[in-house]
Amino acid sequence: MTAPTRDRYRIIIVGGGVVGLFTSYHLARAGAGPILVVERGFLSSGASGRNGGGVRQQWETRATVRLAREAVGEYRRFGREFGLNPYFRQGGYLFLAESPSEAERLRAVHAIVASEGLPSRLLRPEDVARIAPDVARDRVIAASYLASDGTLYPFPVLWGLYERVRALGVEVLLGVEAAGVVRTEGRAGGIVTASGPIAAERVVNAAGGWSAEFSRRAGLEPANAPTRHEILATEPVRPFLDPMVIRLSDGLYVSQTMRGELVGGRTMPHPPGTAGGMSTSVDLLPAMARSLVDLLPRTAPLRILRAWSGYYDDSPDGLPIIGEDPRLPGFVQANGFGGHGFMLAPASTRRVAQAVLGERSDLDPATFGPARFLDPDRPSTPERLQPG
Amino acid sequence: MPDPSAEPARFRGRPLDVGPDEPLARALARRGRRLLGRSLRYHRPRAPFCGVGHCTNCLVRVNGVPNVRACRYVPSPGDRIVSEAGWPSPEVDLLAAFDLLFPRGLDALHGFRRPAWATPLYQRAIRRLAGFGRLPDAGVPPAVTPGEERRVELAVVGAGRSARALLAATGAGPGTLVVERDRALGLPDGVESLDRTTAAFLPPPEEGADRPFTLLAVGDRGRAHRIRARTVVVATGGYDASLLFAGSDRPGVLTAEGALALAPVPERPPFRRAVLVGGGERVAGLLALWGTHVEAVIAPGTVGPEVARAASEIGVPIYPRTLLLEATGGRRIRRVTLAARGGGARFSLSTDAVVLAHRRLPNSPLLFQAGASMAWRSEAGAYFPALGPGFATSVPGLYAVGEVAGFTGAAITESGRRLAPSLGGRGPVDLSGLTTLLDGAPGPLDGYYPELVDRLPRRSKTVACPCEDVLLGELADFHARGYRGIEVAKRYTGLGTGLCQGRYCVPEAVLLLAAWERRPAPEVGRITARPPVVPVPLGALAGLPEGGARTGP
Ligand SMILES: Cc1cc2nc3c(=O)[nH]c(=O)nc-3n(C[C@H](O)[C@H](O)[C@H](O)COP(=O)(O)OP(=O)(O)OC[C@H]3O[C@@H](n4cnc5c(N)ncnc54)[C@H](O)[C@@H]3O)c2cc1C
Ligand code: FES
Repeated sequence: MTAPTRDRYRIIIVGGGVVGLFTSYHLARAGAGPILVVERGFLSSGASGRNGGGVRQQWETRATVRLAREAVGEYRRFGREFGLNPYFRQGGYLFLAESPSEAERLRAVHAIVASEGLPSRLLRPEDVARIAPDVARDRVIAASYLASDGTLYPFPVLWGLYERVRALGVEVLLGVEAAGVVRTEGRAGGIVTASGPIAAERVVNAAGGWSAEFSRRAGLEPANAPTRHEILATEPVRPFLDPMVIRLSDGLYVSQTMRGELVGGRTMPHPPGTAGGMSTSVDLLPAMARSLVDLLPRTAPLRILRAWSGYYDDSPDGLPIIGEDPRLPGFVQANGFGGHGFMLAPASTRRVAQAVLGERSDLDPATFGPARFLDPDRPSTPERLQPG
Repeated sequence: MPDPSAEPARFRGRPLDVGPDEPLARALARRGRRLLGRSLRYHRPRAPFCGVGHCTNCLVRVNGVPNVRACRYVPSPGDRIVSEAGWPSPEVDLLAAFDLLFPRGLDALHGFRRPAWATPLYQRAIRRLAGFGRLPDAGVPPAVTPGEERRVELAVVGAGRSARALLAATGAGPGTLVVERDRALGLPDGVESLDRTTAAFLPPPEEGADRPFTLLAVGDRGRAHRIRARTVVVATGGYDASLLFAGSDRPGVLTAEGALALAPVPERPPFRRAVLVGGGERVAGLLALWGTHVEAVIAPGTVGPEVARAASEIGVPIYPRTLLLEATGGRRIRRVTLAARGGGARFSLSTDAVVLAHRRLPNSPLLFQAGASMAWRSEAGAYFPALGPGFATSVPGLYAVGEVAGFTGAAITESGRRLAPSLGGRGPVDLSGLTTLLDGAPGPLDGYYPELVDRLPRRSKTVACPCEDVLLGELADFHARGYRGIEVAKRYTGLGTGLCQGRYCVPEAVLLLAAWERRPAPEVGRITARPPVVPVPLGALAGLPEGGARTGP
């Protein structure tokens, strides 16, 4: 569908990624229609179709642990509720520390995760062998592990959402860009498209890596910024690696999909901004090859099949930005998810929907709300456990 | 020189009779052994198809390394080679029961969801069957092969006819390097070349750098090269396309390149009787070579005069404008079912091979990667670089000649010769009189797929992506659910995500979707050319010197 059926909606959601679609799902279930989602590319063209599918509950901030734990439940049920199987496999997340300060961080994370009632474990290097026998342990001094973390295929989630929200009456326009925001009496009153304005009472900015740009189009200076992140997959081999493995030192993360491909990325020195396009940099392949062979020596003869990239939408404190923007009533932010929007989407978009409907949610606005960046003196609780 | 006293290479435990420089697949085919693998989901038999190391049909494990392509691998004394697919073997695979149990395919996207408690069991079972080979053995040497970095003036990718003509005309200037996937033969004296080395990645040039291009290339023996070049000529040629029909994944269906790669000597074809598909130059060449073994020539479109003449001279029947509906047989095909386009009755021919020679596609991923602007040409059903004066692509310093640029026949060589002066900075090239594929005539597959799909036999599997065993039915389901475009089709069905990187399945799927979606193929979209061009070993890339400054002399 490329043209809206009406000229006024109750809610317009900009961005048809996992955040936009899940938000529309919660809203439609709450009977908040008519709802319109506009997506300028094809379905899955943003980060939601380019990520590593990792879902973890080990976080440094308590609120994030709770969101993630709720999301794990949602993804376990996803297949039954949405009819498509995302193959959410709970093979665990294994974090590796190679220095005392990294080990200290894992201990701190473990303390928080365990206090939330999740059975996370701190491991000695020798215990790592039982969970991931092929991982090189020479430099590992500590590790943490949570067996109920896991990985999924992002695509069935997107298709499942797309089919379900349309069945619930949500209109999803593909190939339509929101070029700007209509302001009526100091409020967001709709969006501008190439074929004219479309009115709405609320506009949700779920434009992922382009949400900072869309905030600007609404006349708001954004706090978040996109950063290119590269990722690759190897040829498939018979599965040998159960958990997602993350090494803090180089930000390497790697998991093996149900199909047998190794999928992973690592920290690369990309400056913020979308100038690099969604291509692969010439240094990625050798850098990833070094990291992977170092972590999993037996993979040296395996071949890299394809590399690609997408955008992390990074907020200054590493936490998502959720809530109505105080500078523009009716304009609701649902972005800043960094490298973790897929895993946080099911739970956090429920709070986005509450914000859209003007309901109170259990999220602390001082931690998640857009206003937190407007006051430079405000103390922040950053989430620093970013890799993977 | 192999040491005659050395242990022979062994295939599945038996000594292997392999000639000097002979690739494994050919050595095995000479002794009647074709079936090397099984497909991923349905365990359908697989035998060499492309012959150029791009498909998924000839994977073997060599000295503990999985997924080595038998059609390119030249065995060394002492090698231990085994097949990994099939249980217990590729010939007798009990898991082929999947093929019979699921005549309409397995719907992995919607399946395996209930009951909830069984999820871990399903997942364990699926993981037991996933992947092609097993992880490499521990300690397979060498883990990391040291690579090299070098700086050149001119990098020429490919040493085919156009590249050789170019180099013959420019002479062996200092700082010229040729990268060739096979052996670079016939280069002028003094031209340096990297043989058996594949150019894998050419990102857009870095503006203002002294050597703006960085080309990553990897040799068959696992050595990687990072080549910084001032100018790059892409002369990567083309390849024979696949064609979609029921049973098109069966052993015995292969491209012209695949057939040539398996021929023990060029004059002896790797089959008893074959049906040749196509009506142009390529089929004429095959008729001249193997005419007495040809059962018939069938063409999706028209048949050119040279083919008609050659066929009538040796009494080979030709069937122009014919649908190839199905190839049937078990481990080797026995017959094909055909029908004249426009609603003709079905008929069949017996044959033990189908050789696809109906269209050539350009090896263009490097051009896409480098950011050259590419134009869709419906007569070829492919993208070609938009060439300015002098074969210059839209990227300064990047040139394309030969088949990858759309030239055919004698013009392939001629295009290389005429590029030479332009590279020396001596003005634009004269393009007049060069024949190209791009003559505006309707392509051989014009209107073909919509007709085909309506008449495909319902009972048989039509595999739209043989690497991943994606069925045509899955594409049809995708379309019926209202999804559009090749990018989404790829992510929805998995078509094009296999080891051939979509070389064989995607071009056909684009034409098919264009027909279903009733819009021109370019609007159906294209799959981004994701690097590397061919799968490259981690151990090769890990051996490259780190980073490397990009400026300096
Ligand atoms: C390489 C990589 C690996 C990752 N790995 C993980 C992981 O393992 N686990 C995890 O949880 N997360 C991961 N992430 C992050 C995760 O993918 C994202 O946080 C998540 O997909 C964000 O979803 P979204 O819907 O906000 O954004 P997107 O999926 O990017 O959707 C935003 C959409 O908005 C559209 N759009 C933008 N501007 C406009 C406009 N003006 N008008 C209309 N449409 C517009 C875009 O086309 C896009 O489709 C990864 C990300 C990347 C890039
Ligand atoms: S036949 Fe060897 S890869 Fe295709």
